[in-house]
Amino acid sequence: MDGISSEVSSNDAVKIPESILLRDQARLEELERRRNAKESQTVSEEKISYFSAAFSAEKAAIEKLISSCTPNEHLAATTSLEVATNKIQDLQKFLNDSKVFLTKYELRQAQESLQKLQGSIAEKRAEVMPKKKFAFRSRTAGASQQLEVTPASTEEKPKANTGNSVVDSAVSAKQCGFSHAHNEVLIKNSEDIQHGDVLLSHLTNCKVRLYGSPNTLHIKNVKGCQILSGPVSSSVFIDECEDCTLVLACQQLRTHNTTSTQIYLHVTSRAIIEDCHGVSFAPFNWMYPKLEDDFQMSGLDSERNNWSQVDDFNWLATGTPSPNWTVIPESERISCWDAAEPKL
Amino acid sequence: MGLLSILRKLKSTPDQEVRILLLGLDNGGKTTLLKQLASEDISHITPTQGFNIKSVQSQGFKLNVWDIGGQRKIRPYWRNYFENTDLLIYVIDSADRKRFEETGQELAELLDEEKLSGVPVLIFANKQDLLTAAPASEIAEGLNLHTIRDRVWQIQPCSALTSEGVQDGMNWVCKSVNAKRK
Repeated sequence: MDGISSEVSSNDAVKIPESILLRDQARLEELERRRNAKESQTVSEEKISYFSAAFSAEKAAIEKLISSCTPNEHLAATTSLEVATNKIQDLQKFLNDSKVFLTKYELRQAQESLQKLQGSIAEKRAEVMPKKKFAFRSRTAGASQQLEVTPASTEEKPKANTGNSVVDSAVSAKQCGFSHAHNEVLIKNSEDIQHGDVLLSHLTNCKVRLYGSPNTLHIKNVKGCQILSGPVSSSVFIDECEDCTLVLACQQLRTHNTTSTQIYLHVTSRAIIEDCHGVSFAPFNWMYPKLEDDFQMSGLDSERNNWSQVDDFNWLATGTPSPNWTVIPESERISCWDAAEPKL
Repeated sequence: MGLLSILRKLKSTPDQEVRILLLGLDNGGKTTLLKQLASEDISHITPTQGFNIKSVQSQGFKLNVWDIGGQRKIRPYWRNYFENTDLLIYVIDSADRKRFEETGQELAELLDEEKLSGVPVLIFANKQDLLTAAPASEIAEGLNLHTIRDRVWQIQPCSALTSEGVQDGMNWVCKSVNAKRK
């Protein structure tokens, strides 16, 4: 009795029963063992050769699947295209997971083949199933539970008038793009862009040319720049831009806090501005040799351009046009960008 | 009670309408997600002025999903939609690191709202199809999601464009609404 109490008081806070210590040790050992097992497995899998073998095998399988489709066997073709779509998704995932140990070149190659596959699927789908409806169905058919749909009511507009500003955090340097440059000519070729996410930030008096088709484009804190970009497959997001000339093609454009800027635009859905003044628009008119290929790669409809339908979120009154943006008169439009084109 | 009878009971209960709010910064992909849920065409989506509503049937529930525009100018109007919300879906553009802080602030403000107290929240770490997308774990850490104690929450990586991960998120939605109704 005395012995126990003295022992407790002498060791007070640190005394842990031996059984617990043993268990803890066993737990740590088990952890170590698992980690080792995992490492040895990942090392063998992370070899580049393993990746390229697996990738090309899967790619060949998908190609075979696509080429096996014929318009005559409608049902069979539908299902194989579905399977192929899912396979491409898995392959993309595999690529994303493997990205850490691949070289830039291999990553690009793989990305390219994936895009090709996607293109040939789209082509095949158009050939086999002309109706859009079917194409869409095959997208979601992979999901285990199909959602049934009842489209309900539509859109309504609130009367907006107030706003608040929020501070943005620092910009990451991991993306493809340019930042913190002055008085420079900056060029990205389509090999660099490869459907990547491009970020342009903190540029002053620069000339930027983006050849190729970015997946998204973010432009932030730029001043006095001329920026030309090939077709962007999804959205372009602009924030804090001043005295610039932008030539862009995209699916949708969101412009924030921008002043005195001209935008030569191709937009297939809609452009919006918010907290902007003195922004003017004209249709996209940049030409370069592979522009058409890039349009195709981006999936944008080159025939569909809503450049003059700009929504101003600070001006929701219908009927009266917003004072914050204008159309550039035809006589004042820049028609030739090549004159300013830097040497390649 | 067997599984079948539970299912039957679920089906016959008329009160299975669920009100879901879909919020997040502009350019996050809310409307794309909504259209994807409804299996509609996503190629002509425009920036949302005001809101869109869709009803989607899933697992015996009628999900009324309200997609409210995320432009800064209309964010103050989000609160007009808070009442009677069963579940909040918050959409984040995982590749837009410049605005992680802003999106975190908006989410924190939402979670502080009295009208949304206890409402389960599903965070979609969207645009995982982009190469520069941050993984969901990084976003969860950045947003300090682990400090949320007053409600159930879940973060789900997804791509509204390819629909990957969307179904998993919606399964969680149905599960947590079910748990809340019991």
